[in-house]
Amino acid sequence: MKTGFKTAFYFKLALNNIRKNYRFFVPRILTGAGLLGCFYIVFTLAMDERLAQVRGGTYIPTIMGLGTYVMALLSFILMLYTNSFLMKQRKREFGMYNVLGMEKRHVGRVILHEMMIGGFISVALGLVFGILFYKLSSLLICRLLGVDVILGFYFIRLKTLIPPAIFFILLDTLTYLFNRISIARLKPVELINSSHTGEREPKVKWLILVVGIITLSAGYYIALTTKSPLEALYLFFFAVILVIAGTYCLFVSGSIFILKLLKKNERFYYNKNHMTAVSGLLYRMKQNAVGLASIAILATGVLVMISTTVSLYSGMQQTLDQNYPYHLYISAGYEDKEGNVVQIPRELLAQIVEEAAREYGVGIRSVEMQRYLQVAYMYEKGAFTSTVPRVFDLNFGNVANVTFITRDEYENLTGAKLELDKGEIAVCAISTKFGDRGITNGFLTIDGKTYRVAMTLKSFPVQDRMSTTVNCYGIIVSDNETLDEIYESQKEAYDVRASEYINQLAVLYADTQKACDAGQAMHDTIWRKLFAAYRDQEENIGSWRIDFDSLWDAREYIYGMYGTLLFLGILLGFVCMFATVLIIYYKQISEGYEDRNRYQIMQKIGMGPDEVRKSIQRQILMVFFLPLVVAGVHTAFAFPILEKLLHILLLSSTWLFVGCSIIVYVVFAVVYVLIYAGTAKVYYQIVR
Amino acid sequence: MELLKVIGIKKTYTTRFGGNQVQALKGVTFTVEAGEFIAIMGESGSGKTTLLNILAALDKPTAGQVILEGRELSGIKDKELAAFRRNNLGFVFQEFNLLDTFSIRDNILLPLVLGGKSVAEMKKRLIPVVQSLGIEGILDKFPYEVSGGEKQRTAVARALITNPKLILADEPTGALDSHSSDELLRTFARINESGQTILMVTHSVNAASSARRVLFIRDGVIFHQIYRGDATREQFYQKISDTLTMLRTGGERK
Repeated sequence: MKTGFKTAFYFKLALNNIRKNYRFFVPRILTGAGLLGCFYIVFTLAMDERLAQVRGGTYIPTIMGLGTYVMALLSFILMLYTNSFLMKQRKREFGMYNVLGMEKRHVGRVILHEMMIGGFISVALGLVFGILFYKLSSLLICRLLGVDVILGFYFIRLKTLIPPAIFFILLDTLTYLFNRISIARLKPVELINSSHTGEREPKVKWLILVVGIITLSAGYYIALTTKSPLEALYLFFFAVILVIAGTYCLFVSGSIFILKLLKKNERFYYNKNHMTAVSGLLYRMKQNAVGLASIAILATGVLVMISTTVSLYSGMQQTLDQNYPYHLYISAGYEDKEGNVVQIPRELLAQIVEEAAREYGVGIRSVEMQRYLQVAYMYEKGAFTSTVPRVFDLNFGNVANVTFITRDEYENLTGAKLELDKGEIAVCAISTKFGDRGITNGFLTIDGKTYRVAMTLKSFPVQDRMSTTVNCYGIIVSDNETLDEIYESQKEAYDVRASEYINQLAVLYADTQKACDAGQAMHDTIWRKLFAAYRDQEENIGSWRIDFDSLWDAREYIYGMYGTLLFLGILLGFVCMFATVLIIYYKQISEGYEDRNRYQIMQKIGMGPDEVRKSIQRQILMVFFLPLVVAGVHTAFAFPILEKLLHILLLSSTWLFVGCSIIVYVVFAVVYVLIYAGTAKVYYQIVR
Repeated sequence: MELLKVIGIKKTYTTRFGGNQVQALKGVTFTVEAGEFIAIMGESGSGKTTLLNILAALDKPTAGQVILEGRELSGIKDKELAAFRRNNLGFVFQEFNLLDTFSIRDNILLPLVLGGKSVAEMKKRLIPVVQSLGIEGILDKFPYEVSGGEKQRTAVARALITNPKLILADEPTGALDSHSSDELLRTFARINESGQTILMVTHSVNAASSARRVLFIRDGVIFHQIYRGDATREQFYQKISDTLTMLRTGGERK
């Protein structure tokens, strides 16, 4: 009976506390629920075996599994972070309990009850939220993968419900333990008399300011000047580190520098709208610069993450169209017992492909036979040289991918006539950062042998698929002997990594959709027929060397990969966005309690309610929108280097990326503005 | 000339839970002539703080009128109230109420900034005020760097800089040591001699003895008043002290 009464008492007290501190508890409970919901969704997507079986769904378990870890980390950080605000705010309250005669263990029991109530609500809400939105999420991901929706998508299994719930209960327990320890350390007298010890006005730290300017400009410089995707790949990380360092340094010292400058300008400073905001921010920056810098970086991350995944996804079709002018590229050969490579005759291959197409009722528009050699060279001053590039060589961007065909092959493929004498070549700069300036002076050296460039071409019949290097050339040589010379010299330099001749069949079907639908079956049929044709020679064949590159495989790969990435990018992006906003909300609210005193003094000496509101708006505006503006600027500067990186991921449309980035930024800003308005309102209620 | 007229002020508070009504002021009437230095004395709970809040337009009376230079306070719109208080009243508080993020200079200039005065005007007004209070040397310091007496002189400077018609002081010596208290009271006497009207609420006899007239408030009514006349401060001190003793021992109104 007695214990029952006691429990009821603590329960009541805890409930009352939650109600009293609703400005802190409600966002925390909702945060917990939201995070748990997202965690549940990502976790369940990773576990849902039905999804893994849909076309392109093979990436879902892996990517979502990775996403689960990211969500866990985010949840851990956010739950502890929101808790720290709550505790800081309530220290005085706990001190009061102590003075009123409650022992610390009693206070501990009160917060245990609070934690249990809050935790129960947020876990329950979170699971409901997760289950409800799981259906939507799985529909969305099916849509993104471009597959038909499986009906009955409610996937409720204990194995996906229990781990997320347990994880969040653990997080709550952990925060409880933290709070319990911090209460044990409380000294009530100090808390109740927590007088405002004067804080010195912060000084500009010049060294940090200079370091910040240098690192930020260096980061921006790299982002702006990097030319090739491969350089971008390893410089990007470096640039990111520089920009992060610069952001922190500039928030810490640059903000104070600017505020001091504003303060020195008497006309600006002695204005009722500016004075309180400037001097308030000056002090605030001392404690908050690091937090605001983190917010800015987080926001940049969100923008980059969402805009890149969105543009990758929306650029998929274009990427496929560009990289697959033909639907199917097939080359086949085998290595005989002596280790010689024997190519399957192209005529035979073409016959098999046509038979397979007929079998499935797919029309063929054209079948072309292409024979070419593709070699990676280092390019320097009008010379291609086959040397193995070192990974961290800064000339990495000088790698050029050159496709060679003979004059006959060119005429065969295009039907156009081309006059080339021995020792002459025709060059096409398919895509390059060098331009064809170095080449059009008339001569080009390939592995020490100089050729006369008879002409330059606008287009090249053989297209390199899924190429990630920026420098692509096509070269037409006069005859097979020249081609063999080039082959031999690169073979010498690269040895086992040397390029082999490619004999491929490029097939263009009449109907893309029909071809893709029948793709997998045609693929199997072609193999079957090929092996059947060589059944009698089995004893000669060491190993098959078959290259089968089809639009439908690429499509499945690209849709599966980018669709899944996009989903995760959007989900994590939104979680991070709300995290950002939540952090600012908590910051502002707890500052509201600190500022209350100041505003009350100002009201006493003649500041009207309108002026209070305006001054608050101005101050919150600056705190809120500084990170947003910085994130925008960072994203803008990151743009050129990101574009190069996306090139590696096969996205080549700049405008698509620009559009996606702008849309994402606008959406982000709108959400931000809404939260800003809400926060300003709560803040005003507190200080009034 | 009558500066302030207080006529039949009543203030009734209703307790939070239900109908219990507490009457803090039961009809206070007095007038303040321009150039007067008045102290209002009374014990805790006598209603003096409520009275001061009503005079400062921070609170509204349940009944009665407060008229400053012919203008009734309750007739001023809420929107104009802040500006009215800024332009006509100066405040000195027990806890100084300085903003710790502002330098001494900025604290003093704050009312002018709120009033939208030009920088040149601010500078022109600042110098004589700080010189007369002897704080011109600490203008660039911050409140936490100066003594209590200096803080209170800063607060006085902040009150004076708008050239208010009336200075309202709420226990101005309450947080000061005796030395700083005496200094502040001398300052008040001096600015009063130069023509500034001051109304001070206090329960310190020492503080009240620097005024020219003392009103005693008890149980929500003005119970008694005495003038200093030609008496020295010591004599006046004695007189106030005697009056308080008499009031406490239940003496009748004279």
